[in-house]
Amino acid sequence: MVQDLIFATLETLYMTLVSALFAILLGIPLGIALYMLSKSEKKSSKTFYSVLDWVVNIFRSIPFIILIILIIPLTRLLTGTIIGSTAAIVPLSIAAIPFMARLAENSFNNLSQGLWDTAVSMGMTNWQFISKVLLPETASEMIANITLLIINLITYTAIAGAVGAGGLGAMAINYGYQRFRMDVLIYDVIILVLLTQVIQFAGTKIANSLRK
Amino acid sequence: MLEIKDLNLIYEDNYHVLKDINFKVEDGEIVGIIGLSGAGKTSLLRTLNLLQVPTSGKILLDGVDLTSLDKEELRKIRKKISIVFQHFNLLSSRTVFQNVALPLEIEDLSKKEIEEKVNKMLESMNLIPRKDAYPSQLSGGEKQRTAIARALISNPDIILFDEPTSSLDPKTTQKILDLILEINQSTRKSILIVTHEMDVIKKICDKVVYLKNGYVNFVGPVHEFFIEKETELNNEFYQEINIDWSKTWEMVRNKNQKLLKIVFWGSKTHEPVLYDVAKKYDVSVNILYGKIEHLKDSPYGTMIIAINSDNSHVENFLKELSENVYKVEVLN
Repeated sequence: MVQDLIFATLETLYMTLVSALFAILLGIPLGIALYMLSKSEKKSSKTFYSVLDWVVNIFRSIPFIILIILIIPLTRLLTGTIIGSTAAIVPLSIAAIPFMARLAENSFNNLSQGLWDTAVSMGMTNWQFISKVLLPETASEMIANITLLIINLITYTAIAGAVGAGGLGAMAINYGYQRFRMDVLIYDVIILVLLTQVIQFAGTKIANSLRK
Repeated sequence: MLEIKDLNLIYEDNYHVLKDINFKVEDGEIVGIIGLSGAGKTSLLRTLNLLQVPTSGKILLDGVDLTSLDKEELRKIRKKISIVFQHFNLLSSRTVFQNVALPLEIEDLSKKEIEEKVNKMLESMNLIPRKDAYPSQLSGGEKQRTAIARALISNPDIILFDEPTSSLDPKTTQKILDLILEINQSTRKSILIVTHEMDVIKKICDKVVYLKNGYVNFVGPVHEFFIEKETELNNEFYQEINIDWSKTWEMVRNKNQKLLKIVFWGSKTHEPVLYDVAKKYDVSVNILYGKIEHLKDSPYGTMIIAINSDNSHVENFLKELSENVYKVEVLN
């Protein structure tokens, strides 16, 4: 059983971290796009923003368990299967990307108008603004966002576990719920709590160290 | 030279913020824009580099109309106009050194060149001991000096200051004003200051633009502003002449005296003009109020006096006094 628990933990971590990575790599740029479009005075940008905003909202509003089912064809296309932790990464990432984008956009919006004005009056290009002002000034908050994202993803892996994804969630359902193994369920929960605590602790530490 | 022509700004909700604004900032000049809150000062400042796009009018920097430029041209010309913002707007993730280096980084200067220029700038701003500190560790004055250093480093043609002293204590205010004056004198850069503090105008400005309800109410030299607009300033800003008028009038009436307001300006302010003329015509003078202030380039004074109107030389006294001071006003 110990071996099973270790394996399940590793599976959970694998699903969480890989989909978090996708969310960071795609969600933050999407957040940047949303923010920059909202700041632009061009009419076409405003339209583009509305479309993007709408798409993000749609993906954010579909309950995760339904999303898993909805995108089964995509999952099969990308991974060749719909069972197992690798397959679960597809719906996890698709749920996490718009979530991350929204979190990032919120952090960017919290940046003072003054910094935007300063950058514009210095004659910065959009890229210079993003790389020299936007990202460094929100770095600490972004770490906090990523921490939140990872912890949310752990919860989501448990939901994915219910439909064959593996990991701690699946183990809790298979052993604890279907075979009445209370001990497995408790160990399972203890591991989940520990994971969350460690990630939150580390995230807060890093975020604070970036706050100047 | 910066020239503002027929500038209008109307917000989307039809609020008319700036109305037919016209004025010039000559090369090397320090111009102060003064007005009460809501007069449109900050909106005006923001339109000058098109942070706020005006509804109509022209903004000419050395003859180039900023409102006619495309995005890329505008981006380049903005580097010639530096702004020191009211709240400094330093980047919290960067040290003093890195903040000052920012305008050079976007110019793609080499690391070595940046280091040289920034160190030189920090040296002249007395910021070397604080160069590795983050903005959150700085005092108000240090933040302001960092913001000024950052504005100067790109060698702009004109520097705009938005309420540069509003968050500073009196001593730091004086230091910052001295610094602005020094920058103006050593670099001959034009400077435009938006403020609601009369002291800023008095101490360092050559010219005033008085903004009232979105209009330019007055443009001209500082001393003229204080003389021409005195009554208005008394009502709107602060009591320039601190005197109990009701008691004064009562006294003047009882003694059948004339009440005069004398305005001094320029070199004669320091000469005993009043004494000389009064002695010549044997007019007894009762001084009720007097003060001398130092404007940037010359002293400026106001005096309220009462004289006996039964003296036969009064007309001559008034005539000669008028010739020797800036202005004599008979109040009754």
